[in-house]
This record gives sequence, C-alpha cells and structure tokens, in this order.
Amino acid sequence: MGASYLAVGWNRQKKIYDWLIFAFCVLYLATFVVLTAIFNPDYTFETVLIRATSTLAVIILHVTLSIGPLTRINKKFLPLLYNRRHLGVSMFCIILVHGSFSILQFHSLGNVNPFVSLFTSNTHFGSLADFPFQALGFFALIIFFLMAITSHDFWLHNLSPKVWKTLHMFVYLAYFLVVMHVMLGVIQYETNPVFIIIMLIGAFTLIALHLIAGTREVNKDDVIYKLKQDGYVLVCDVKDIEEDRAKMFCLDTERIAVYKTGGKLFAVNNVCKHQNGPLGEGKVIDGCITCPWHGYQYLPQNGQSPPPFKEKVSTYDVKLEGTHVWLNPKAYAEGTERPGAVISVVNAE
Amino acid sequence: MSTMTVILAAISLYLVAGIIFTIIFQLKGLSKIDEGVNGSGWGFRIIIIPGCIVFWTGLLRKWIKANKEIIDPAKEHA
Repeated sequence: MGASYLAVGWNRQKKIYDWLIFAFCVLYLATFVVLTAIFNPDYTFETVLIRATSTLAVIILHVTLSIGPLTRINKKFLPLLYNRRHLGVSMFCIILVHGSFSILQFHSLGNVNPFVSLFTSNTHFGSLADFPFQALGFFALIIFFLMAITSHDFWLHNLSPKVWKTLHMFVYLAYFLVVMHVMLGVIQYETNPVFIIIMLIGAFTLIALHLIAGTREVNKDDVIYKLKQDGYVLVCDVKDIEEDRAKMFCLDTERIAVYKTGGKLFAVNNVCKHQNGPLGEGKVIDGCITCPWHGYQYLPQNGQSPPPFKEKVSTYDVKLEGTHVWLNPKAYAEGTERPGAVISVVNAE
Repeated sequence: MSTMTVILAAISLYLVAGIIFTIIFQLKGLSKIDEGVNGSGWGFRIIIIPGCIVFWTGLLRKWIKANKEIIDPAKEHA
C-alpha cells in the first residue's frame, strides 16, 4: 500500500523473508553441486546447473502454491503469504537460469535459431516416449515470466485487478506444464524413479491442500441464515466477535466482514481491493481494518483507506438488538460512511 | 521461411516496438496514466520496464485515454 510506488517496499519482515529464500537457494544449489561432484563426477557444469536449478524451482513452486491453501486452513501460515511474490519472482529467476542453460546446451550449437530448434528439432508429438517435453517447459517459463514482470502493484492497478488476477491464475496451467515437462523428460533421460515419486507426492499434496481449503470455504459460504426482518439478517451474537476482530458472513453470495472495534460494530465488504484478500480475517490496527495478506488498510466506518491512499470497499448497515447482531446485505457505494451499531455495556456483558 | 521463423519474427517486431514505446512512455507517459508514479524512484521505473515492453499496447491505450481526458476536462466531470 503506497501513495507513490516504490521498487520494493522493504521492511524488516520482507528482508528476513528474502534472506531466508536466498540462503535456502544457495544452500540447496551448493549441496546439489557437491553431491553431484561426489557421485557423478563425469557430469558437465552445465548439466549440474540445469538439474540443480530445475529441482530447486520445482520445490519452490510447490511451496509457493501451497501457501494459499495453507493460510486458508491455518492462519499461522499468513507470514508466508505476506511476501509470496518475492518467492515467485525468485523461482522465475531460477527457472530462467535452467531454461537459458538448457537452450544453450541443447539448441544453440547448430546453425538453426535456438528458439526455432526448440520447436522443430523434435516433432514426435504423438509419442509418449519421445514427446518434445522441452516445449512444455518453455511455455511454463513464458507464463512465469509474465507473472514475474507484472508482480509489482503498478500492474495490479494498470492491468485492472480482474485481468491481473486472471493472468496470475495461469500459474496452475504453468504448474501442469511443469509436471508434464518433468515427467516426460524423466521418462526420456532418467532410470531413477525418485524424480517421478517426488513429483507425484508434491502434486498429490498440492491437490489435497487445495481440496481441503476449498471445502472449508464452500462450507463457510453455505451457512443459511433463517431469521430475517426489514432487510436485516440475524448473523450472530455480539460476544461471538472478538474486540478489534471480525466475523465473515456470506449473504446473497456477498461476503461481508462485521468488525467489533471502539465499542461499535461496523460492516464492510470482505474483499480487499489489493489482491482480493479476506478483510474479515484481518484485525484493527491503529484504528484501521488491516488486510492479513499485505497490510492494506481501511477505516471501519466508511471502508476508505486513510489519506493519501484511495482504495475503497463497500459498507453495510449493521444493528444490535439485545446481544443479537443483525446485518443488512444491501451494499452502500464504496467508501460510504455508516454509523455502525453502538455496543452498550449491557450488550457487551 | 518456416512458420516458426515467421512467428519469431513477428514476436521480435512486437518487442522492438515495445522497447521504442517504453523509452518514450517512461519519459512522457508514465505519470499521466497513474498518479502513483509521482514521487517514485528510479528503482520502480526500472522494475516495470519488462512489463512495459510486453504490455505496451495496453499502456498505449491508457495513455491515449488519459490524454483525451486532459484535453476534454468536461468529460472527466460528466
């Protein structure tokens, strides 16, 4: 969140995060090179680098794709999500090294353009054993490239959140291409089944995590609120909401976060304007609703980001009857001030 | 000339046009399409260069639209 863009909005957490990524990558690559030198001393430097970067990238890709569902399952994983884009960009850089050296080693030694050679040297598309798997990796690299170059918030604003999100959802297509690239490549070049086993375990883990997280989300949205009056819906008891925290309710397919702060209840749209983060899972910091994903902030009474920022979310009416919280799912225009519902001492007890 | 060569040539042309556009856009257009650019440093301008080269057609459209709004301020407040 920034009034003017920075290349990277460094803070202590981001620095620690990036140092950990860097240290892990260096340690992994060094270990891979040393072990290969011991057990396969006849391998060339290019081959070692191609293999080391490919396996490292696959590991980081699995970690990156696991973070989303893990945070849905347990909030303790949220710190991993905060700087996930740096993990993604790091992975792209590693894949770029892998792709560049692969093209250099396998396609740049003849008199044909290396990129033409990549697609024309092997055209056995009908054969599983000889399938041109390198082309699959190339297309995955292109998707990761597009994601990496649009990872800055400037692109989120200027491509529009919808286009940006759609583009970044192509990571799942890229993941499929990577799986096929590795599996078909291993079939052609490897006799050791360990690569296939690792890849399969990773894929099954990812699928399981996404299924568990998805089921939880669907269950949250499927709650039916029966008691209704004058457009309001009875959603919970005031004691169910912690101070400076929220509960999320899905009414008429709209997710709404009801926050309790400063002796009042306020309702805002649950979807953060930045990257669709769940505002209802955040907390009030310095008087502002703070998105748990990247720290974007909104004032609870009007859904506006504090000046000079300009993001806005819709607001809703909420009222208290006794200790019962009633919510009106009719959205006000983004940034509309609402009075909120005063929690009396009697309600709060 | 093979199909692949033609496709590569077309992509190369598109990217060369993107590079030319990016040079002009960074100098004259960037601050017109997004006020968040005002006050930003060189690091930010460098980091968005690859994206500008690839997505130059979309940025050009935004730049033209922004110029029209400046020329016709009445439309902006309509």
